[in-house]
Amino acid sequence: MSDNPVDMRDGAAVGAKKLLARAAAADVRALHMLEIAVDDFFLPEESRLDERTRSALAVLLRGLVDTVEAEIREPAARLLNARGEPALALALTEADPVLARLSRSGLLRDPELMAELMARVRQELLGNALPMHAPDDPERPSLINRFVQHPDRVVAAAAMAVLIAESRRRASPESGQYAQTELPAELHHRLVWWVAAALRESVLEAAENAPADMLDRALSEAAQRSLAAYDEGERLEAAGMRFAAAIDAQPSELGHLLVESLEDRRIVLFTALLGHALGVTYALARDIVLDPAGDRLWLAMRALELARDIIARTGYALSEADPRRDLESFADTLDAIASIGASEARKALAPMKLHPDYRAAVLALGRDGGRAR
Amino acid sequence: MNAIDPAMPVAMGHVDSDGRLTEAEGRLAELNLRAGGSLGAPLAVPQIATLARLAQRLGISISRNVIAADGEDDLELWVRADPKDGGVRLQVSGWRPRPVWRAAASEPERDGDFFRSAADWLWETDASLRITFLSIEAGARYGFDSSAMLGQPLTRLFALEEDETGALPILSAVAAQARFDGQKAELRGTGRMVRLDATPRTDPGGRFAGFVGGAHMLDGAPVAAPKVDAPLPSAPFAGFPDSFGQRLDRALRGPLGKIIANADSISAQTEGPIKPDYAGYATDIASAGRHLLGLVDDLVNLQTIERDDFHTRVEPIDLAEVARQAAGLLAVRAAQAEVRIDRPPTDESLPCTGEFRRALQVLVNLIGNAVRYSPPGAMVWIRLEREGDRACVIVADQGKGIAAEDQDKIFEKFGRVDPSEPGGSGLGLYIARRLARAMGGDLTVDSAPGMGARFVFTLPWRDPMPGAAFGA
Repeated sequence: MSDNPVDMRDGAAVGAKKLLARAAAADVRALHMLEIAVDDFFLPEESRLDERTRSALAVLLRGLVDTVEAEIREPAARLLNARGEPALALALTEADPVLARLSRSGLLRDPELMAELMARVRQELLGNALPMHAPDDPERPSLINRFVQHPDRVVAAAAMAVLIAESRRRASPESGQYAQTELPAELHHRLVWWVAAALRESVLEAAENAPADMLDRALSEAAQRSLAAYDEGERLEAAGMRFAAAIDAQPSELGHLLVESLEDRRIVLFTALLGHALGVTYALARDIVLDPAGDRLWLAMRALELARDIIARTGYALSEADPRRDLESFADTLDAIASIGASEARKALAPMKLHPDYRAAVLALGRDGGRAR
Repeated sequence: MNAIDPAMPVAMGHVDSDGRLTEAEGRLAELNLRAGGSLGAPLAVPQIATLARLAQRLGISISRNVIAADGEDDLELWVRADPKDGGVRLQVSGWRPRPVWRAAASEPERDGDFFRSAADWLWETDASLRITFLSIEAGARYGFDSSAMLGQPLTRLFALEEDETGALPILSAVAAQARFDGQKAELRGTGRMVRLDATPRTDPGGRFAGFVGGAHMLDGAPVAAPKVDAPLPSAPFAGFPDSFGQRLDRALRGPLGKIIANADSISAQTEGPIKPDYAGYATDIASAGRHLLGLVDDLVNLQTIERDDFHTRVEPIDLAEVARQAAGLLAVRAAQAEVRIDRPPTDESLPCTGEFRRALQVLVNLIGNAVRYSPPGAMVWIRLEREGDRACVIVADQGKGIAAEDQDKIFEKFGRVDPSEPGGSGLGLYIARRLARAMGGDLTVDSAPGMGARFVFTLPWRDPMPGAAFGA
């Protein structure tokens, strides 16, 4: 066989110079590995990612990049074919997947992207781990299913949108691709252009004399097409917020809706109901819900004048679902939480209602100031 | 109002504010007694006591699935604790001996994975059998509006069909909180038939909370003939339905491949060093995975060759060349086992008729067995002979041999001489012999304990083309 794919190098051809260069590089690499190992060792145990979160994060990231990649690669290759560049189209089709390249580049370390992905993964794991709860009356449909039947069409449509978005998000785990990324629009935009750029690089590396201008045009058109088709309003989180706004729960109903959404294991609904009631964004409500310390959540629930047993049920369900939470210490503090006055709680939460960018700036300044001193 | 299964009686009890058991019905009282407690003393079953205390402190009712030791056994209990009159009222049901082993993943999750690999699409309901989840792409593919079905009763999407006994499997499953399969239904408005499977979801209080299910399209199956793949019991076993092999392949090959690949990378320590024993376990996992994969191959093969219309092609082949290729395919495995294969020299040939691919399959099986049963340092011989109108390949090893009384058994389906021995599905030789006979040849063995085994694979002799060399 002429094309042995295993090893194309001829052993003798590696000259002494090359060997020395490699040895020197190995030295540097060993030092680098040591630095990473030291960093790893000194990571505080409680802030490490657990294996479940880590692997779910890897699956999600890969899925999102694959989804965007498919959205760009195929249409761009079609465009190139239509424009008489079949060789370039083929090179694009056969170019290496871009995930490894993007990971190497450090682009994916984008704090906003990672914050979103991490929160999405945690939210999903928490939702899946919530204890199942059967209704006392077996004939009674679950919360969201009751609202699908609601006579008010706005409410019914909003409830339906939540169900659809949830089914869509879980769809097709085999192919590893999602119907869409379901990222906030800004992050989706970033990811699309990164993927397009990585595809460009990969094709141009493989085919040196490729007409870069044709490739650039096709890739950017395909990317723009993907961006135009993207609707962040279809995200599950957005559908949840619209639903919460549509039912606009009265203080007297809110507690039961919150508890029932947890019993139905619909963490997104719980978060959206809470966010709407507090008047904060979904992302912030999600931070509050996912925080294992729980203090902000209890304050928020007190600010909404929710009763002790609603807080107890919430704390119990979340503790059962999240091993990082301590049920015993929650039980110990429950009386203290219940004794906090609503106006006191609202005052403590006031900074959360500030404009998100303003809040982010205040936080960033605080962190930076601490470092400078 | 309460959906607790009557087959699992509820025992009520009451614990006062100091954790003392003040009332307990039959089973609960007995359990507490056996755990060393008594009425008026603190509740002696620690898991239930914890739950009661928690319910009291939080001031809410709590349900939990609890495993309690009862003498030598473990009991699986569903406990509901309601704060009442300063104390806590207990409802304990379930009372089932706990299975010896259970997987770490939660059951619905695992069932979901299982359905996902076999079903065409998935669905879930709440306790009132209204749909809470549907594979969103299924609608477009099979002609219904998935999004309009979400939140609707399951019967809006499916027109359920009674089985032979006039019952609806799904309803019996709701009543018994059990899994069901084989519920036939029509996808309303499409005329297409599906088969539904599902497992129930149960809450920590033991109550039915909905189904997690899969749907299999029964394409082309007419409504009036529901018994296509359910032959009468008196009919001889006609083999698995056609789709079985494909489904088996699809359902098992992917997950097994993943298990093997991941176990291999754990054992190779590609992600960093781990304790040697763990790497060893991973090696075991990988080899068990390979064994299962081999079994899947065998079963798929079995299904093919047992079909009535199975036939092999009749083509001129050179059995010597087939043997050389088979030996080549097993060279790596032989080297790992420190066994040498003495393959026919390249100038030998043995013309005969048969199907090349199938003959190769037979010889890979024979030589593979010989390698597996050979001690390190041993040799596997491959000899070619002509006996009248038959071309013979003989594969001989230096293994422990096969006793005369076992020589028939090894060709039986799942026939293994020593079931404790690792490797092999017990199908390889059965399949090999069937293949040999389908090609007009045969596969026989002669051996004695301690003398190694000698397998003879024959195919019909063919006069060589002019000029072709023939030796041996």
